[in-house]
Formats: sequence, structure tokens, C-alpha cells
Amino acid sequence: MDPQTQNTSLQRLQNVENRVVKVLELAGGVMEELASPSGPKKEFVNSHCREFMQSMKDIQVTLREEIKSACEYRPFEKCDYNARIANEICFQKLEYVLTQLDDLKQTAGQYPSSD
Amino acid sequence: MDSDMEISLDRLPIKRLESIEENGAERFPSDVGYDDKRVSLIRRIDFAWALEEEDELKKKKQKKSSKDSAEQWKWKGMVENLQLAHQELSVIIDLIDTVQANDAVTVAGMTRPKPLPNEILSDLAVSTATKLQGYRNLGNYFKQSAKALEQKINREARFYGALIRLQRNWKVKRQRMLASNASNEGFTIDLSDSSLHDPTSGFRPSTLSTIRVDHDSAGMLAINVPQDSWYSLRFGFVGLNPIDNTNESDEHLDSTMGHDIPGTSEKQSASDDEYVKETHSLLREVHKSIFAEQVLFDMLNREAFNEGVGFNISGIRENFMEMSIGQGASLFVSLHPSGKNASIKKSESATLLIESSGRIEPAEGDYRLKKLGFPNRASYEIYLQQIFHEHAFGKAKDQPKSKSIRASNQTRKDSNSGLLDHFCLSLTHRIFSNRVLEHLESVVCKVPYLHLISHPTWNSRTSSWTVFMTVPPSIIPQGSSETQSPDGKRNLKMQFRTKVVVKDECISVEAECTPNVVGLLKSSSCNLFAMNKYECGVADLPVIILQQVASQIVCWLLEEARTVGTKASRDFLSLSLEIVEGERVSLVAQVNPEDAKGCISWWLVMENGSTEEREGVSESRKLLGHLSLDVLYSVLMDLINLCGTGRNALVS
Repeated sequence: MDPQTQNTSLQRLQNVENRVVKVLELAGGVMEELASPSGPKKEFVNSHCREFMQSMKDIQVTLREEIKSACEYRPFEKCDYNARIANEICFQKLEYVLTQLDDLKQTAGQYPSSD
Repeated sequence: MDSDMEISLDRLPIKRLESIEENGAERFPSDVGYDDKRVSLIRRIDFAWALEEEDELKKKKQKKSSKDSAEQWKWKGMVENLQLAHQELSVIIDLIDTVQANDAVTVAGMTRPKPLPNEILSDLAVSTATKLQGYRNLGNYFKQSAKALEQKINREARFYGALIRLQRNWKVKRQRMLASNASNEGFTIDLSDSSLHDPTSGFRPSTLSTIRVDHDSAGMLAINVPQDSWYSLRFGFVGLNPIDNTNESDEHLDSTMGHDIPGTSEKQSASDDEYVKETHSLLREVHKSIFAEQVLFDMLNREAFNEGVGFNISGIRENFMEMSIGQGASLFVSLHPSGKNASIKKSESATLLIESSGRIEPAEGDYRLKKLGFPNRASYEIYLQQIFHEHAFGKAKDQPKSKSIRASNQTRKDSNSGLLDHFCLSLTHRIFSNRVLEHLESVVCKVPYLHLISHPTWNSRTSSWTVFMTVPPSIIPQGSSETQSPDGKRNLKMQFRTKVVVKDECISVEAECTPNVVGLLKSSSCNLFAMNKYECGVADLPVIILQQVASQIVCWLLEEARTVGTKASRDFLSLSLEIVEGERVSLVAQVNPEDAKGCISWWLVMENGSTEEREGVSESRKLLGHLSLDVLYSVLMDLINLCGTGRNALVS
């Protein structure tokens, strides 16, 4: 599972998306409040608008950070496919050694112990 | 018009002074234009009479209607009102048409009628209501789009989450041009590695190396790689390993990418994980296949056309190569399609069971193969992959340094990197050294006082062993004439080693106390323990080893005898002691590698040497049999006692 901290880039972008949804909801709420027949409640509208602006600011900051860090990474610069193949070969070696060790163990088990 | 025509009189066209200035200049109103005159004339037409008439008509009709109201149609009043309105409207329309035609009358000015307060209020109310309605609609719109966006985010979160997890390990590329069609955002996974391949060699990336990322029915990431389209490398010995059977390791991969729709969200996330893992495994298999196909098999094919010492190509097919190497072995390397639906063909050669230890259990009574000692197929498959990968990788690392200058030279060199040669020679060596080991083992097993030690050489074409013998410690007390080593122990040899080194297919034996007949002519003891190195063949190896060991025993006994002062001499494999003048007793070793009870047996030979009278030397022999070193040592001591009257008496 992905770590639940805010540290992964994916988590942050996910948060931005959720915030956009929330901002839309706020806007809808404000509009409905303005449309209410008894007149809008000022504190309600004020608080929502403040939250809206704050969220927009957060979204902007986060997106800016992410875009900056994304641009710093030149894609496919350090391709590790070579190392991956070497790894696969090492994995095969390990499997082989394990089978050999199992055989050793089996052979040793066939002989009665000296204790 | 019933009334009399009235005559209206115009004023006299006297120009009246409009204004007069101080200096006496008089200003007259400007002449009214023709049109303006007409307008003013029309204005003066009084329509009041028409209105009065209408009013009178209305009153008359009302009187009439009130008289006969019972049978009156109740809409009649409205009809009359409408007719009057229609009349007024027609007059006004005529006027407007005239104004529009612009030839009789033009509009001089219009003033807006001042709105009444209730009209103002109602307008305001209407506009406020529309605005409120607009806000409400907007609010609804925002909330709906918030919900829709949330749903979209959740649906796509699975896709992008999986894509990002794959992106950690694989190159994900995007082509936005293709994104306009269907449900594909144009993502692809690129499995090719441009650094591994020489661009001048005309290399084409395989169709496998770009994999499209699609959405499956649940909106989740899906990868469709057709079955049988990727390969795995197979290596084996012809006649030993089946060519076409699937390996056990291929079957654990489940290449079906179907995904069950889970019930709860927890199960969904857990199975998402598994799904990503499965996709990852599939990508790994395809990546390995690309390596096997393009790097390995390609290079193998290129190398095959170079002359190599260690191998001869005996067959090439598509994705299959067979070659014969030394020691009567024959290899094959093939690319074998994997995936669940790979066809399993029965190999035509005899099926043999292969244990994982590399020893072969022959079926059908083919015991000849057991002696060949073929090494384990899997380890050499790995070795083949490794050396080619290292070579390709090293080439890739060198490439950025000198790209264009040495490119042409490199291609020439690369096709002759000699890796296949090296590989085949290694394999040949391994088979050969397995045989050598068998011989050594057969000797060492039978002689109880010998031990065999293997040495790792870290070289695939060199192997080395040591035959190790420990002799029992000497019971002769130390004389004053002997030098002492610093730790107080005697400077006598306790261990004898015989080192056997095999390089490619060449055996060399290195040991001291070699049974060298030539060396005996010098017969000085300082040469006795000299190391000597010589070569031998496989068939002779057991005898050579036994002779070497026997000779070492003889040298040891000789050294022991000499420390006591006995006159002793050595001749090939025999030790002679002089008992009395002319009489010699000898311990002679006899080596026989086929002997099951122990390979070295000892004879006691008595020689009566009356040299003048007889021609030859008569001797009598007694077989002592297989003796352990302790027993041999005590025999020697007894013999020395025999000789030792008058010399250093042994106190045992």
C-alpha cells in the first residue's frame, strides 16, 4: 500500500484533486446561499469565501511545487534496465544456489547425526 | 365627420424678431424648412374629435347594451374595446409607417415616459428574481460538477495509482496525439533499452518492446500481451535435456490478466496490489524475453559465424542453435515461447530424469552417460546469460566515451568477442574435470590414509585439487646433531601434498618426492623433497597419483631411517636397508588402481648378495599386503632394529 503520509507526490496530487472538488462545493454553497429567499447570511458567505481563497492558494502552491519537481527530473535519464537484467540473472543464481543447499540439507539429513 | 368644417387660420408669416443684440443686430428665427412646416401642420391636426366620437359611440353602445343585457354576449364589451384599440393601433401604425418611410414626417424627438413607482418596483422584483434564480442554477451546477469530478477522480485514481506504481520500475511514455481516440490516453510502456544495442548494427526494436496501456472493463489499468509472443531462453545438452518441454519455472507465472470485481473497497485495494504485482511480473517476463531474444540470441548468432576453437556449429534453425564441443558433448541453445498456451511437444530423444544435483539418473539402462559427468544445465544457462550481459553492458558503458571514432573498429571487434568460444571451452573443461575428479575420488576412497581437498580457482577453465597425506609422528628421539626449529618440534615432514591442476584439458601434477628415476642417479637427500611438476593424461592419472603417494611414503621412511643412521637407499618405489654386508632387505610398494581393498600393497624382499660367485641376486619376497602407515612404520622400526645392532639402539 502507498504510505499514508503526505510525502509522496501521488498523495499530494490526490489531495489537490480533492481540494478542487471541495472548492467547487464551496462555490456551489455560496451561490445557493446568495440565492436564498431570505437573503444571504454574511458570516456564512464570508467564511466560505475565505476557505475558498485559502484552498485556491494551497492548490496553487502545491501544484507549483509539483510542477517544479517534475521538471527537474529529466525522464529516462538514468535507465536501469541493464541493472534490471543483471538482477534477474542474480535471481536465477540465487534460485539455483537454494536448490543446491536444499539438496545438501537433504543429503546431510540422510546420515545419522553423531550425537 | 358630421360637424362643420372649421377653419383655422395661420398666423401671418411675419417674421418676428427673435433677439436683438446690443450693437443693434437683429436676429430672426431661421426659416422653417419644408418638412418642418409639414410636421407642424400635421401636429396641428387635432385628433381629439376622433376620440370624442369614439367616446360617444361607446356611450351609445353601452346604453344600448345595458338595455338589452339579458341576451347580450358578455364578451361584447371586450370585443368593442378590442375594435377600438384596433382602430387606434391602425392609425398609429399608419403614422409609424409614414415616419419610417421618412418622406412626410420625421421623428423630432422622443421622451421616455416616466415609469410609475409600481412599475419600477415590479421591474426590480423581476430582475432580482431572475438573478436569484441564476445564482441557484449556478449553485446547482457547481455542486453537480463537484460530484461528477469526485466520481471521475475516484474512478481514475485506481488507474493512475497503478500506473504510477508501474512507473517506478518501467519507462512509461505518453503520446498525446493518439489520445483523441477512444478511451486510451496514449500511455505506453517502453521496454527497449537503447544503450544495450549498437546503433550501427542495424538493430530493430522488437514489437514487444512497446506495450500499450489500456483500460479494462472496470476502468482499471490493463495490459494485453498476447500469449506465446514472448520467449525464454533454454540451454541444454543434446540427448540429455528435452528440447521442447516447458520448464517448471515457466508454469508459476499466471499470464491471465482477468480481474475479478471485488466486493468491498478493502478487497479492492488488496487485489489492486496483487493486480499491479501480476502486471509487473508480466512486464518482467517480457523484458527478459527481449533480452534473451535481442541481446543474447543475436550475439550468439553473430559469434557462431566466427571460427572458434572450442565449438563447431552442427545445426541452426529459427530460434535454435546446436553446436558440438569437446569431450563428446553437444549443446543446444534455443528461444522457447512461453506463456500458458505454449505447446508442449514431446522430444524425440530419450527422456532422462534429471536430478537437481546435476547427476543423471539414467533410464533405459544407459549407464554410459553416468560416467560422462555432465554439469548442471541450469548453472551454465545462467553463466551464458551473465557473460553476454556483462559484455553487452560493458560495451554500452564504453560507447558514450568514443562514439563515432571507434565505431567501425568496434563492430569488427564485437563480432569476435570470443564469448561463445570461452563458454564452450569452459563447458568442455567442466566435463573433463568432472572425469578427473571421478578418477581422483576412486583412488582416494580406497586408500584410507589419503584425503582429497578441492580448491576453488574462480576461473571457469581451471580446477585444482590436492591429495593430502598425513604420516604418523616419528618416535625417534631427537639427537643432538639435529637442528631444532624455534617451537621445539622436529623439522620433519608430517604432511605430504600432491597437487593436481587442470587447465582447459591439460592435467599437471605437482608434488615432492616424485618417483623420478633420473633424479636418483644424483641420489642426494637434499633433492629428495624437491617439488616437481609434470603432466599426465586422464587415463594414467590414478596410477600416477598412487605412484606419487607411494614414493612419498618411501621418502618418508627413508628420512626416518636416515635419522637413525641406518644406511638406506631408495629406488623408485622401494626402500632398501642393509642389514649386514651384502644382505639387503627392501620394502617395495605395488600400486594397483583397480584394487578394491586398497591400492597400495607392500612386499618385503630379501636379497642375498654374494656377488662374486653367483650371477644374479637371489631374492625371496613376502607380500605384506595393504598396510596402514602406523603398521608400516613399525615394520620399518623392526627392520631398523634388525640392522641396528651396534648402532644407535632404539629404545621404544
